[in-house]
Amino acid sequence: MNTTIERLQNERLFWDGGTGSILQARGLQPGELPETWNLTNPSAIEELAYEYYCAGSDIVNTNTFGLNALKFPGQVAKIAASAVEITKRARARAGRPDALVALDLGPTGKLLAPLGDLDFERAVSLYGEVAEAGTKAGADLILIETMGDLYEAKAAVLGAKEHSDLPVCVTFTFDGKGKLLTGGNPAAAVAVFEGLGVSAIGMNCGLGPVEMLPLVREFAALSSIPVIITPNAGLPFVENGKTVYPLSPGAFAAAMRDVASAGVQILGGCCGTTPDHIRAMIEAVADIPYRPQTEKAHCFAAGFSGALEIGKKPLVIGERINPTGKKRFKEALQKHDIDYILSQAIEQEDAGADILDVNVGLPGIDEPGLMQDAVTAVQSVTALPLQIDTTDPAALERGLRNVNGKALVNSVNGKEESLNTVLPIVRKYGGVLVCLPLDEGGIPETAEGRLRIARKIVSAAESFGIQKKNLVFDGLTMAVSADPKLGRVTLQTIRLIREELGLPTILGVSNVSFGLPLRENLNAAFLTMSLEEGLSLAIINPNNDAVMSAYRSYLALSEQDPQFSGYIGCYAGMEKKTSVKKKAGGAPESASDASSAAKDTSDGKTSASGPDSPESGLKRLYEAILKGLSAPAKELAREALKNTAPLELVNGTLIPALDKVGKGFESGRIYLPQLLMSAEAAQAAFAAVRDRMAASGASESAAKGRVILATVKNDIHDIGKNIVKVMLENYGYEVLDLGRDVPPETIVDTAIAEDIRLVGLSALMTTTVVSMEETIRLLREKKPDTKVVVGGAVMTADYAAAIGADYYAKDAMETVRFADRVFSN
Amino acid sequence: MTAAKEDFRLGCGRADFRLESKEIRRQDVWRYLGYRGSVPDAAVREAVEEAIEKLLPVLEARAVYRFFPLEIIQAEEPFLSFAGIRTKSRDLSKNLSGCHEVILFAATLGPGPDRLIRRAEVSHISEAVILQAVAADAIELVCDRLNEKLRLLAAREGCVLRPRYSPGYGDFPLEVQREFLQVLSAGKEIGLTLTEGLLMAPSKSVTAVIGVGREREAAESED
Repeated sequence: MNTTIERLQNERLFWDGGTGSILQARGLQPGELPETWNLTNPSAIEELAYEYYCAGSDIVNTNTFGLNALKFPGQVAKIAASAVEITKRARARAGRPDALVALDLGPTGKLLAPLGDLDFERAVSLYGEVAEAGTKAGADLILIETMGDLYEAKAAVLGAKEHSDLPVCVTFTFDGKGKLLTGGNPAAAVAVFEGLGVSAIGMNCGLGPVEMLPLVREFAALSSIPVIITPNAGLPFVENGKTVYPLSPGAFAAAMRDVASAGVQILGGCCGTTPDHIRAMIEAVADIPYRPQTEKAHCFAAGFSGALEIGKKPLVIGERINPTGKKRFKEALQKHDIDYILSQAIEQEDAGADILDVNVGLPGIDEPGLMQDAVTAVQSVTALPLQIDTTDPAALERGLRNVNGKALVNSVNGKEESLNTVLPIVRKYGGVLVCLPLDEGGIPETAEGRLRIARKIVSAAESFGIQKKNLVFDGLTMAVSADPKLGRVTLQTIRLIREELGLPTILGVSNVSFGLPLRENLNAAFLTMSLEEGLSLAIINPNNDAVMSAYRSYLALSEQDPQFSGYIGCYAGMEKKTSVKKKAGGAPESASDASSAAKDTSDGKTSASGPDSPESGLKRLYEAILKGLSAPAKELAREALKNTAPLELVNGTLIPALDKVGKGFESGRIYLPQLLMSAEAAQAAFAAVRDRMAASGASESAAKGRVILATVKNDIHDIGKNIVKVMLENYGYEVLDLGRDVPPETIVDTAIAEDIRLVGLSALMTTTVVSMEETIRLLREKKPDTKVVVGGAVMTADYAAAIGADYYAKDAMETVRFADRVFSN
Repeated sequence: MTAAKEDFRLGCGRADFRLESKEIRRQDVWRYLGYRGSVPDAAVREAVEEAIEKLLPVLEARAVYRFFPLEIIQAEEPFLSFAGIRTKSRDLSKNLSGCHEVILFAATLGPGPDRLIRRAEVSHISEAVILQAVAADAIELVCDRLNEKLRLLAAREGCVLRPRYSPGYGDFPLEVQREFLQVLSAGKEIGLTLTEGLLMAPSKSVTAVIGVGREREAAESED
């Protein structure tokens, strides 16, 4: 007899139908957990499984949909074993030794971090526990179903595969718009889960067979593995107090004919379907020929909400999340300043990046840990697919494991050692693999030499089970200043890879200009030349206007920008501007715009000095901060620094402006949004000051003090904390931001290690103030000289006193004032 | 009223809502931002408009509701019992006096607003604060629209609704959130979950109890 995997790949199989809906009809109460019936009412469960096997189902699920240690602590193994036994008994009684038992795994009912608080590895182990118990009890395969979140489904698949050798299938629940609850679509689901090596993929629940049909066609067109479709018996309505699914067995069966004809291999039902529905469906599709799923050649990268096809329209990979040659970035990594990395991510997305490269490698740093944190954090602010860029295999694995989507992997090369370490990791987690055609012999000087190594990498990847379609090749950009003919070789390599291997290509464009002046000119030209040779992925700085203009112009001139909408959308109305950055909040971009904007808003008051004198520049900067105009503030600060010393600018203009706004806020004349807009404008001006000091080699002035900020354990709302952070930084404090859901121990340990004199804690609700109290207690015990200021929605002065805080700050300004008092002593 | 008819409302349902820009109540948004009775300056007003334009496309307003019979168990300390939840909350008892049924509902804007706000917290904190205020009004709006739908359902049976009452209000404990979401299958139906600290995730979400009373009795008990 064929193995289960062979059967999934080569046969039309029928799954079972609804369980929950039928058990409710048989006495399960709303709110009662169906899995308890495996222990308390096994005969009812066995009877239903028996009915499905008799109706013709080749696969019947165990009654373990909601089984996990969160809902059934200490009982998982027992219930899983019982559930598998029950289903096996039903199969024997039905006389269906050919049929299969699927261990059924549903959502945990929790949202994974960063949206919720369930840790990814915790989710993996929750699923792993059930998978292990069910496998031991004799299940034939594992079904992960009704998934509304790609990330949770990934945790489930990893849990299953790391604790069981059984084939794993996964089905998702989409809404009528083709979206998962957390935003994913079919293309992203196929990209990610084919990569993770599931045996079949599809959809269940949520919709009826008619509503599902467009999505069914999408799955059939995208997937290279068998497709499972198990719809509800139509869209439910309520009648006489009961939920009714409208499709009769006959109507359901008729609709499932269309599903089968669309090229689906595995069919079944979900809510509202019964053994009669399954029986009718099996009969109805009998004359529809079985077609196995064919191999698709698409190469997809995916974020958590969608997929990007690689090899069609050329795409931009943003290169800025990378410490190489960037002092500020290195500092951020050393201080674990994740927000700085995030600001780089956002800036590049706004500038037009399609994919973000993530490189956090620095000597002496915990690169795997930082890679995990960076990947998770970047995905909390952008849906773009990522490229994991590292030479450390442990960091690569952590990045790929934690990424929510299908990432690019940068990179593998033709050296045995590289192939043997990178390929197994990519085999396990999936991904699009960037291959460098170099090996132990170095970088071949000719395109043909590079092609030879490329072929070797293709066969090595295939021997590891990584499909050719998931490979992209780097043409290897070299500095032309070293040898002028190297540019040509790179271009030829791109063409050869495309023509001979039919694979997409990638280039780190800016290497070409190394050692030459005004590098962006060469970069832009080289990018255009590469694109004309068929380059698929350009690793560039999307914030660079010259290079992005070359890219957008190429698209417009090569019929890859329909109606020129990309080009016009970016450049319309910008003829006279020198700067062409994509809208940065609609703010004016150039210095002359900036000063005129600030002038416009200065209520017509002109200073005694002329319009272009240094004094009027300072006055305009002061006004720009009062008005909260960030872009003008930055430009005006830059201008002013030509004639004014940095410290003088800070003390003479920036601080007085901030103070005026702060006092206005405290007296109730200015409101929070204005306070924060001004704070942002001041931030922008401070950034200009820092740039100036860095350029002149001056060390930054010392902070007034160092403050820990944290949102306490179990609390995930940190906007209040983040407001306080911006304000404290503007007032000259260095903030150690520990983030949200921070355990008391972490806060106390950091306070001790960094010898911190002031800790600010935020909590939103009474349930999390408990953690705040615990943190204060621990701090008093271990570091009694540290002061604690607290804030948050439910806080009051009395409440703060009761839990032992030193001070309650009702807003960000009060926190600043309290910090001033603490540090002036 | 016959028993069979009463049964009619012992059901449940799902409702999705599409919100339009004009529905967002600017005054309320301004109030959330601290402007009590005063009008923000042009820059802030414009920022509010921009926030509305950004938020609406990313929210998926979904709600689930279910009717349950309400029992008031007379004991030494009387308590309320509905949907498997038992509570001695005096404030809720007052709110539900004269009611024979309750509706439990949960509504959410989905994860989109949380992601958008998180992004703004990193890049433009002022925008984050404004998005937060717009989202607060949007979820209230969803509750109002659901409320109106339920009011019409109840009115067909000659019943009226009490103002909605959420766990965490007064002495109605937040701890009932667990049972609350479970009995509504809120995770599966609308993607609404709870954290260990009983915070809702996605965060722009509301759960509440709405009392259902017969018109005459309700009117009397309000006197």
